[in-house]
Amino acid sequence: MEVFNIALRGIFIDNMIFAYYLGMCSFLAVSKKVETAFGLGLAVVFVLTLTVPVNWLLQEYVLKEGALTWIDGSFESIDLTFLQFIMFIAVIASMVQLVEMIIEKLSPALYGSLGIFLPLIAVNCAILGSSLFMVQKDYNIIEATSYGFGSGFGFFLAIIALAAIRERLKYSKVPPGLKGLGITMLITGLMGLAFKAFIGIAL
Amino acid sequence: MKLLQNLFDSIKPHVEKGAKYEKLHTLYEGHRTIFFKPSLTTGPTGVQVKDAADLKRVMFTVIIALIPCLLFGMWNVGHQHFLATGVVDATFLSKFLLGAGQVLPILIVSYGVGLGVEFAFCVIRNHPIEEGFLVTGILIPLVMPATIPLWQVAMATVFGVIIAKEVFGGTGMNILNVAMTSRAFLYFAYPSQISGDMVWTYLGDQVAVDGFSGATLLSYGSAAAANGTEMMAGLGGHWYAGMFDFWNLFLGVIPGSIGETSVLMCLIGAAILVLTGVGSWKIILSVFGGAWVMGMIYNLAGTNSFMLLPAHYHLVVGGLAFGAVFMATDPVSAAQTETGKWIYGFMIGVLTVIIRISNPAYPEGIMLAILFMNVFAPLIDYYVVEAHKKRRLKRATI
Repeated sequence: MEVFNIALRGIFIDNMIFAYYLGMCSFLAVSKKVETAFGLGLAVVFVLTLTVPVNWLLQEYVLKEGALTWIDGSFESIDLTFLQFIMFIAVIASMVQLVEMIIEKLSPALYGSLGIFLPLIAVNCAILGSSLFMVQKDYNIIEATSYGFGSGFGFFLAIIALAAIRERLKYSKVPPGLKGLGITMLITGLMGLAFKAFIGIAL
Repeated sequence: MKLLQNLFDSIKPHVEKGAKYEKLHTLYEGHRTIFFKPSLTTGPTGVQVKDAADLKRVMFTVIIALIPCLLFGMWNVGHQHFLATGVVDATFLSKFLLGAGQVLPILIVSYGVGLGVEFAFCVIRNHPIEEGFLVTGILIPLVMPATIPLWQVAMATVFGVIIAKEVFGGTGMNILNVAMTSRAFLYFAYPSQISGDMVWTYLGDQVAVDGFSGATLLSYGSAAAANGTEMMAGLGGHWYAGMFDFWNLFLGVIPGSIGETSVLMCLIGAAILVLTGVGSWKIILSVFGGAWVMGMIYNLAGTNSFMLLPAHYHLVVGGLAFGAVFMATDPVSAAQTETGKWIYGFMIGVLTVIIRISNPAYPEGIMLAILFMNVFAPLIDYYVVEAHKKRRLKRATI
């Protein structure tokens, strides 16, 4: 039950976009069409569900202070936490590479429309962010997987909702100065207001 | 009528294209069409539209539907005032006048400020005056407590009209319900004047009777859930016996926002909206349905006394009825597809009850539930249309 709650919390309450405002660049840039946003959202879900548990293993058996004792008892005092960022990023980058190859093989059209933003998932702060939050929150591996999936799905939901709104916005008459990113930022803020519905629920 | 006709005709040359005040043309046209039909007609070829029901008439229908709520709200503000201050022999008229004295200033501020912003935008951006605000301007006061400071009403109105509507290009193009956005803005910016137990009853400079509490049924519920006490037992010793009986809640003789308390008046409004074809009965019905179903689920799961509150009570407390009838049916921010309307409404009902019971941060959930589903309405529409396309394609044989 706890595992389920962690995923729900990641989707609605601690939503990466509306609670932390992380991962905004691809959120704003790839939300012009629902189809593309759907593809990117799925890629993020996939990458997050894999990287968070892999990073958990890394943290638990390599990086943490005293983590290396499984090799030899004398490594007890070694603390590799300073390598955390670079190691996490390396894992994320390789996962993104994997996703990229899969998408290129399966759906060249989607690959084309995602363009530069697919490799840029590697530096999406939502992804590094959830690995770091996972460390902070002291999860076990199952909880970490569930957390990764939840925060990925939260991002997915946010980006397709924004894309649908922006598709409808085609009929609006936005003032020239606000067209494009300006109005998208405002919409993001208004969506954040709506997402406040869940803040405060204790799961 | 002749007099008005002459008046408008005499102004006309000054605001036509090329004349001195051509910038004010939209303002002129907006006022003229209150009394006369628009001078625009469809061309001699193509589709002919022959209907008096333009946007302005539709909006006036909503206002007529809101009048029962408004009048009842005025009476109820006065009634609650005299109940709380222990005056038993107040007449109907004195209650009504006292309530009107509280409600009318809020209404005037909301209309004055909102129309000011609206006119400024229509002159600057040269778009026709948008009648949408006629409804928003009456909705905003109805979802405020009677004790709200007037400057806050003005701020909320400005925020709602500009950020929720004008930046998108005006009426018909916004994504969130304007009145709900205004209220949410106040709710998060100045929570102490719009939530809690003390704001719902207007006391003025009078002292309340012994044991008085302005708490609503929902705040009793969340308190009981937080303390693990028995909700209905707490109600037994209520300062005014019978206030939270089902039928009293249905009639709406309870503290609350000005226009939201009476389910009966909302249903009269709903009847007007549905009969004239302005509001969607599917949305209204499915909001109530969603709330009832979710209430039943909580009843079955029930671990505290708030969860065990009978499901039909959820339909008559708080602002659910008002939100379902007047806010959720907003044709702009709601789902546009017929299947989408069912999903949209149902989810509003479900979320409202979830927020009421499971979220200790907010006693009432209808406002945020509507905003949340406003955000997802375009997505629902998108997938309904996609599914429809797929079905049609499957049926098509080449």
